[in-house]
Amino acid sequence: MRREPIDPSGLEWSRVSPKYLRVRLLGWLIGSLVWLVVASIPLVLRLTGVWDSFPPLPVAWALPAIALTSAIWRGLLLPRQVRAIGYAERDDDLLVRQGVFFQRTMVVPYGRMQYVDVAVGPLERAFGICTLKLHTASPATNAFIPGLPTEEGTRLREQLSARGEARLAGL
Amino acid sequence: MTAAPGPSAGVPEGDQEREQSAGAPTAVTSTPGSTAAFAAHASEGGPTTDEWRRVHFISPLVRGWIALVAILYFVGRDWFEGLFDSGSRGRGPLPEGVGLLIAAGVVLGVVVIIAAAFLVSWYFTRYQVTAEHVRVHTGVVFRQQRQARLDRVQAIDIVQPFLARIFGLAELKFEVADAGESAVRLAFLKLDDARKLRATILARAAGVDTDPEHPEEIVEAPEREVVAIPPGRVIGAALLSGTTIALVVAAAVIITLGVTLDTPIIATSFIPVVIGVVGVYWSALSTGYNFRAATSPDGIRVRYGLLDTRAQTIPPGRVQALSIVQSPLWRLKGWYRVTVNVAGYGASASNEGQARASLLPVGTRDEVLQILALVLPDPGTTRPVEVFGAGMVGRDGGEGFVTTPRRAKWLAPLAWRRNGFAVTDTALLMRSGVLWRQLVVVPHERTQSLSLEQGPVDRRFDVANLQFQTTPGPVAPRVLLADSATAWDLFHGQAVRAAEARRRSAPEH
Repeated sequence: MRREPIDPSGLEWSRVSPKYLRVRLLGWLIGSLVWLVVASIPLVLRLTGVWDSFPPLPVAWALPAIALTSAIWRGLLLPRQVRAIGYAERDDDLLVRQGVFFQRTMVVPYGRMQYVDVAVGPLERAFGICTLKLHTASPATNAFIPGLPTEEGTRLREQLSARGEARLAGL
Repeated sequence: MTAAPGPSAGVPEGDQEREQSAGAPTAVTSTPGSTAAFAAHASEGGPTTDEWRRVHFISPLVRGWIALVAILYFVGRDWFEGLFDSGSRGRGPLPEGVGLLIAAGVVLGVVVIIAAAFLVSWYFTRYQVTAEHVRVHTGVVFRQQRQARLDRVQAIDIVQPFLARIFGLAELKFEVADAGESAVRLAFLKLDDARKLRATILARAAGVDTDPEHPEEIVEAPEREVVAIPPGRVIGAALLSGTTIALVVAAAVIITLGVTLDTPIIATSFIPVVIGVVGVYWSALSTGYNFRAATSPDGIRVRYGLLDTRAQTIPPGRVQALSIVQSPLWRLKGWYRVTVNVAGYGASASNEGQARASLLPVGTRDEVLQILALVLPDPGTTRPVEVFGAGMVGRDGGEGFVTTPRRAKWLAPLAWRRNGFAVTDTALLMRSGVLWRQLVVVPHERTQSLSLEQGPVDRRFDVANLQFQTTPGPVAPRVLLADSATAWDLFHGQAVRAAEARRRSAPEH
């Protein structure tokens, strides 16, 4: 994985499954199509003559164009975003990083974990991956690792629970 | 919390924790002749606290008095009107006396039904305090049985609404770490009983030794008053708050509009503004009035209130984060406000929530330092006054503060000299804000998780933001625009220091 400026040195990030990229791409495709269709409605109505003059033709064209551009932009960014997700288990804590432009690296001490969630959606199940979510006493701890292979997710959950118990520290 | 026999746990469902906590009392009760050094044992022998009790008889009345008054008002009004109208309008074939009888009967029936409902609700509300738990059963149709662990207590409040005060009653609120939802509310008890119960719970939670012969005779921990705020200052603080600035601005706008447009109608729009402002002043006064902070072995005691009074107790080590804020006009008088995050209080934006979260509604620098000493008994530095003083009012480096690098000053043209952090042996200090000066203090062992964030602009200037996650509350600790390398050092160092501090302070709750 490419090292980003705020990443700690001397740390080996574990990457998420490449299958997660496919899940994200599928989601992106569906979402983009829906947006494109919605954005095209004024144009279609205008071209078929149902609406006379309300949205000027350039505006009607611009809407789907914007939708298409942003969809392509997000699509191009997706592989990098997925590559940017990483996690690293250290002795006392778990590091999770994400983001390309707006990067975030989060550290969650094992002793602070209140519980660990593993969530699987239908699309994720089809690809055999899952999302791991960590909860501390703070709801602002928004630490999740998407796109883990199911076995890895299970292993990590057990590992984190075991380590959390070994380093218990209430609030 | 020193009496717990092993590392107590934060994961509520943890097996280890269950064994640990359940282990202590059972082990002791099996050997009743032992030296009874354990508070758990002493309290288990208590003949009266373990039994089921009821709240005070008239508490449903105190709780439901508004509904009662409303019903009486409507019924009474109808009855009165009927009394005067029946003769003149001559409605219905009933003679006057019978109408009066029926009206009286209806009123009586309503009162009886309400009284019965109150009685039933009172009868089915019971509570019990054991060595480990406090249990409350409520409800008639939908029953609720609630149980909270004593050693999980985050804070205990004794609240006295105005009417309850008249009757000498009080409500006991027992908070665990579930962000604002009171785990257990006992409304209402006699004030003395509530105090005694609070002392019992706190003593048991802290594992204070009690006399095994008379476990009931738990004396309230002695307390020493630290801060008392004169009412004059509360009024002054309200008048110098941001609300006043808003009022002046609103007045200027309205008068200008009124003069230029030459319509007196605009003046009436001033009424809602005045009502709002008076409301804000009133709430500041009613929650800040007679504010007293004291320290006791149980924890920090805070009392305040004009009509409704509230006494809060925060056991030691329950403050997750603390902030010291100074609004621009308060600078004239050198006043500060201290607010805290406590796991049980939650992030309520209501008046009550804000009042609960403030450990000092308005105080001088010395008082702030005294409150700080309560929250952070060991400041972790040899020059606490200088370091915290620099955090409250200072700027640039000095006293260990590291500020935003000069190259990033255009990201925060005013605040860059003030944004900064300092690390002591026990806490992290984060200061920010030029107009609204703020200093946030997070004890190392209270760090939940932290994240390092960097956007594209930050990257261009090689700076990063450090965000701390704590339990819900008004304080949001973060270090803004620190040099990337420094921020990473802090990030890494803080994770290590937090782990270190947790090991040192264990067992904790």
